[in-house]
Amino acid sequence: MDHINFEVKKGEVFGFLGPNGAGKTTTIRMLTGISIPTEGTATIMGYDIENQSIEAKEQMGIVPDVSNVYNELSAWDNLIFTGKLYDMPKAYREKRAEELLRMFGLLERCKEKVQGFSRGMKRRICLAMALMNRSHILFLDEPTSGLDVQSVLVIRDLIRRLNEQGLTVFLTTHNIEEASQMCDHVAIINHGKLAVIDTPEKLKRTVENLQSVEVAFETVSQGMLKELREFPNVSNVVKEGDKFRLITNDPPSVLASTWNYAQKNNLRLITVNTLGPSLEDVFVKLTGIKPTVAGEEGNDRMKAQEMPGRIAKQ
Amino acid sequence: MSNVHSGHYGREIRVAWAIAVKDMRTYYTKPPSLMFGILFPFSLFLSFSIGRNMPLATQIPILISQTLFFASSSIGPVVIPMERANQTFDRFLTSPVLLFSILLGKTLAGIIYGAGISVIPVLVGVAFFGSQIVNIGAMIACFALSSLAFSALGIMFASIPGQTPGQVMMPLNFVRIPLLFISGVFTPIGELPTWMQAVSMLSPLTHTVELAKYASGAETFFGPVLNTAILGAYAAAFLFMGIRFHIMNQRKE
Repeated sequence: MDHINFEVKKGEVFGFLGPNGAGKTTTIRMLTGISIPTEGTATIMGYDIENQSIEAKEQMGIVPDVSNVYNELSAWDNLIFTGKLYDMPKAYREKRAEELLRMFGLLERCKEKVQGFSRGMKRRICLAMALMNRSHILFLDEPTSGLDVQSVLVIRDLIRRLNEQGLTVFLTTHNIEEASQMCDHVAIINHGKLAVIDTPEKLKRTVENLQSVEVAFETVSQGMLKELREFPNVSNVVKEGDKFRLITNDPPSVLASTWNYAQKNNLRLITVNTLGPSLEDVFVKLTGIKPTVAGEEGNDRMKAQEMPGRIAKQ
Repeated sequence: MSNVHSGHYGREIRVAWAIAVKDMRTYYTKPPSLMFGILFPFSLFLSFSIGRNMPLATQIPILISQTLFFASSSIGPVVIPMERANQTFDRFLTSPVLLFSILLGKTLAGIIYGAGISVIPVLVGVAFFGSQIVNIGAMIACFALSSLAFSALGIMFASIPGQTPGQVMMPLNFVRIPLLFISGVFTPIGELPTWMQAVSMLSPLTHTVELAKYASGAETFFGPVLNTAILGAYAAAFLFMGIRFHIMNQRKE
C-alpha cells in the first residue's frame, strides 16, 4: 500500500474496489489488526487500531474473503466460541447465537458439523459470527464471491437491513454492479494507490463520454463485430452475451448507423437501448484494465482474467 | 483502577482458556498430533531401549521426558499452520484480545496434551515395572515446567510462516532430534566428556530428564534447583520469542 488516506462515514456502506492484487485485502487486514502497517495510522470509531487495538476490535465484525469457520465444530459451537472470544456472558452469547442462527435460517441444522455445509451456508455462518458482538462496523471482503444466487440475495438483503439499522459497512468486491447498487461511497484502488473516492453516481458522471448503445440482432454473422467497430463515433465495442455494446459520446449518430447497418444487411434488430456510463466504465478507465485480444473474431480468445467480453477498438 | 486491571486480566485468561479448549476439541485427534505427539516418542524410546541391558524401571523417566518433550511441542506446530491455512488464526488476531493471550491459549493446549499423555508412562511404570516416585514435588515441577517450556517451543516454531504442519515440523525436528543426543537420554550426562556436559546444560530436555530421574530417586548431575531454574528460564524465553516472532510475521504481511 502506498500512503492511502480515506474516511468512512458512520452508518454508510463504503465500497472498496480494485483489480486483483490492487491491495483491497491488504487494506482490510491492516484495518482489522491482522497485519501491522510499516507506517501510518488507522482509527476505527475513534480508536487507533495499533495502540488501542482491543477497543478498536470491539467495534468491528469481519467477514474475510474465505469462510474461515471451524469445520470440525457445529454452527452453534462456532458462534458460541466467537462469543467467548469477545468474552460475552454465557446467557447473552447463547441468546445472541440463537437469534443469529434463526435470522440466517440455520437454527434447524445448528448442531451439525459445519464440514458438510454448502459454501453459501458457511458464508452465512461467517456473517453470523461477525455479528455476534453487535459490532458497529462490518468489514466484508468479497462477501458474495462464488456464491449461488439465493445466498447472494440473502446476504445483500441482510447487509442492506443491517445498514438501515445503523451498521457501517466496509465492503470490498469485484462485483461492480453490487457496489453500484449498495454503496454510498466507493473508493477505487489500483497498484496500492487510491485512484478516486466519490459516490457511484458522481463517478459515473466523470465519464459521460462513455455512453453506449446496446444492440442485439436476431442473427449474428461472422465479421459483425469488426463491422460495428467501423461505425463513426464508436470508441469501443463490447460483446456481452448475444448483445453488442457500442461505446460512444454520440448515441444518436450510432443509433442511425445501427439502423442503416441493419437495413443494408437485412438484419432484424431485437434490442436497442441507450445506456449511461456504468461504474464498471469508471473502474476500467481508472484502473486501465485491458483484456488481451489474441486473434480475430470467432477465434478470439480472451487472455486476460479481468473483464472478459470487453474488446477495445483497434 | 485495580478492579479494571483484574477485570482485564480475567478476561484475557478466560479467552486464553476458551482458545485452549477449542484447540483440544479440534486438534488433539488430528493425525499429525497423534503421529508427532504420541507415536514418535514411543517408537523412538522402543528403538533405543529394546536390547539395552538396563532395567525398564530405570528407563521410565527417559520415556516420560521424551513424551513430555515431543507431545507438548507438537500441538502448536499442528494447530497454527492449519489455522493459518483455513484463515481461522485471523479470527484470533481480529478479536479484542492480546496476542499474548492467544499464544497462551495455544500453549495451554500443548501443556495439557503433553502432560496428559506423559501421565501414561508414569502410571504404567509404577503399576507394571516397579518404578517409584519418591519426590512427588519434583515430578510435578518436571511436568509443569517441561510441558510449558516445550509447548512454548512449539508455538515459537509455529511462527514460521507455513500452512501445513510439515512445514513447521521439519525445522522443529531438526532441533528436537539432536537434543536427544546431548540431553542424557541415551548416555548419562556424567559419562559425557566435559565439553559435552557444558553443552547438555544448555538443552532444556536435559533438565526434564534430570527432574524425572530425581523424582524417581535416581542420581542427577546438575541438581533439581538448577534444573527448575533453567526450565523456567527457557519457558519464559520461548514464550517471549514466540510473541516477538508472531508480531514480526504480522509486520511482514
